[in-house]
Amino acid sequence: MDFLADINNAIPEAALAGFGLVGLLLGAIGGDRTAGLIRLLAAVALVAASVLTAYQFQHPGAADGIAAFASATSPDGLYRVTMFTLFAKTVTYALAALALLMSGGFLKTSQMERYEYPLLIVFGSLGAGLMLSANDLMTLYVGIETLSLSSYVLAAFRRDSLKSAEAGLKYFVLGALASGLLLYGSSLIYGFTGGTAYAVIAAAPISVGLTFGLVFVVCGLSFKASAAPFHIWTPDVYEGAPAPVVAFFSTAPKIAAVALLAHVMFVTFGPHEEAWRQIISIISAASMLIGAFGALMQNSIKRILAYSSISNVGFALIGVAAGVGNGAASVLVYMTLYVIATLGMFGGVLALRRGGRAIDNVSDLNGLVKQKPGMALGLLVLIFSVAGIPPAAGFWGKLQVFQAGLQADMTWLVLVGALSSVVSLGYYLRLVWAMFMKPSAGELDKTDISIGIIVLVTSLLMFPILTVTIQMLLETAARASGG
Amino acid sequence: MALIAFYILSTIVVLSALFVVAARNPVHSVLWLILAFFTSAGLLVLIGAEFLAMLLVVVYVGAVAVLFLFVVMMLDIDFAELKQGFQNYLVVGVLVALALLAEIGIVAAAATFGGGTTFNANPGAATNAEALSRVLYTDYLLLFQMSGIVLLVAMIGAIVLTLRARPTVKRQNIAQQTGRKRKDAVELKDVRPGQGI
Amino acid sequence: MAGLELTLGHYLAVSAALFTIGVFGIFVNRKNIIVILMSIELILLSVNINLVAFSVFNGTIMGQVFAMLVLTVAAAEAAVGLAILVVYFRNRGEIAVEDVNVLRG
Repeated sequence: MDFLADINNAIPEAALAGFGLVGLLLGAIGGDRTAGLIRLLAAVALVAASVLTAYQFQHPGAADGIAAFASATSPDGLYRVTMFTLFAKTVTYALAALALLMSGGFLKTSQMERYEYPLLIVFGSLGAGLMLSANDLMTLYVGIETLSLSSYVLAAFRRDSLKSAEAGLKYFVLGALASGLLLYGSSLIYGFTGGTAYAVIAAAPISVGLTFGLVFVVCGLSFKASAAPFHIWTPDVYEGAPAPVVAFFSTAPKIAAVALLAHVMFVTFGPHEEAWRQIISIISAASMLIGAFGALMQNSIKRILAYSSISNVGFALIGVAAGVGNGAASVLVYMTLYVIATLGMFGGVLALRRGGRAIDNVSDLNGLVKQKPGMALGLLVLIFSVAGIPPAAGFWGKLQVFQAGLQADMTWLVLVGALSSVVSLGYYLRLVWAMFMKPSAGELDKTDISIGIIVLVTSLLMFPILTVTIQMLLETAARASGG
Repeated sequence: MALIAFYILSTIVVLSALFVVAARNPVHSVLWLILAFFTSAGLLVLIGAEFLAMLLVVVYVGAVAVLFLFVVMMLDIDFAELKQGFQNYLVVGVLVALALLAEIGIVAAAATFGGGTTFNANPGAATNAEALSRVLYTDYLLLFQMSGIVLLVAMIGAIVLTLRARPTVKRQNIAQQTGRKRKDAVELKDVRPGQGI
Repeated sequence: MAGLELTLGHYLAVSAALFTIGVFGIFVNRKNIIVILMSIELILLSVNINLVAFSVFNGTIMGQVFAMLVLTVAAAEAAVGLAILVVYFRNRGEIAVEDVNVLRG
């Protein structure tokens, strides 16, 4: 076995871990004065990890099938990169870097500029990368926990605020319960298949114990992806947690969690597709409906965006339910387009401030177009994309998952998707209506330049003229899924 | 013999777990929790997993339970009213619990008992600790390192959330203390008889 | 002597009971977060018993390594959970979940 090739597979994660440790030392010595510097360095480290992962994707010498940390007791080792996970990891790291870059202004104005913040995001992204590269239930668990523990702390990061502490507490209690379910399922799977390696589980015949374990694992993973019956934490955490943390939660960990769910279903339980297809379809339908109807009654922008993210995870899960042949590429396309648009949308909306206070009510958006026409136009494109309205890029993502669903003969699921798309137009258009048609609600503060750049870039990416990017994305995703 | 021990220990585990959930006073809950962990360690010893049993006692009883006790004592809370809602959720709770138990019972029934009765706590080694150490630093090195990262994240998290810099508190600076010279501290005055300073 | 030996089923039963009590504790003790955290520890304990029992009865070592990981993570989780609880208590002055009305689902 080629040892160097094995190490190459894990270079992005090793780089992140190394940066995390060095950054911690730097912070411990320099104190919070170095916070801004460490934030920049962390973003650079995340970009570097993303580039390294993309490089592996382009030159897949060691990728796919070769174990990085070979293990004598499990056939394929603990760690393995496939094209599918490389794609997801590239997007995850890049979005974590962007979310970190645009958080600067907010952190400064709300006295949250502390050096632990970027480090927690780096360690969280490391956990996301590890759980995606897992080839064994143990690696999966450790990766998920690294991401979750960082996320709990980040949610409560604004420790003087009751809302933030409460968001952290709720996230922690429900998240720990979900981890418990996942673990109990893992232990059953281990017991009834005789191993924790994905290859062993995939090779094992289906049994009652394995099915129960599968159900528990799906519950645990759906929680992390905030899919429907396990979505209860999402609106509360999004409302309570600090804005840049929400921008992070809704992008990098979101695509990582959905890709992980897809990967575990496709690879670990691939041969047992009949056992999980029904469960995933029901979770998908429930997420789409709850996301669409739940947001109609809300007035807080953060809560609307939370429900929107629940419903979008539901759409992506159509692709998972369609199975690996039909849906794998569509999941990647959908989630990539969604998280990029979301980053811009969250970044833009959450950065708007009036008299030093962040806006939260839909009516606070009133007349945005008169004060900040550029921002309003950018947000318009992004909202259209998230809603999947034709000219914007999000429409193509939705088309992909719907096609995958139709190919897999899941017409009812696609119909539910179409219905909830129409319903969700209600609240997306309400945001647009407030921005463009209502009289102005008062002077807004100046926004950070980094936010402006992010909104500009993401909205350009989602703009129909740049369909060439969509074409590239489609091809890459198809390659990643072995098409 | 082992079976009798098993029944005694498992009864204690389940009862103490019930008391953890039902005790009125959280301090009692922690104590019941310690009993549950300790007895589970006994259950593990019964099947030969000594090392894990020891870890359970050291980590849970020694660290986690003490941490719990510490926090319970520190947060000075009026516990009498905390339990008032217990009855409201009792019915729902019991239903959920029964459903879960029934589901898991099916699994347990399915497991009693197919093949695979090798019954070996230390495959490929003489003792339990040896069997674990053979794989932990070789095959599972990645996991070993990553659990270090998990602990580091927990440490950063706990510190960043709870540590407050208090400029008003006086701190001991040992270097300053030991570096103090005689002339910084004592001033000699020549006081003449019959006069004040 | 067939019926008088320790079997995997025995251990699975204890573990199932502990798991159930843990989940039950989370649902019933809606007002007291410390007890909820302890219920989570009970769930993790049940997972550990499950893993070790499977490991011993299947004769593979992975289960015990997994149990060590769970133990480590459980300790980390307790630390983070209690830290968040302390922050919450500082802000609010009590730890009753039911009175939580600032964020409403």
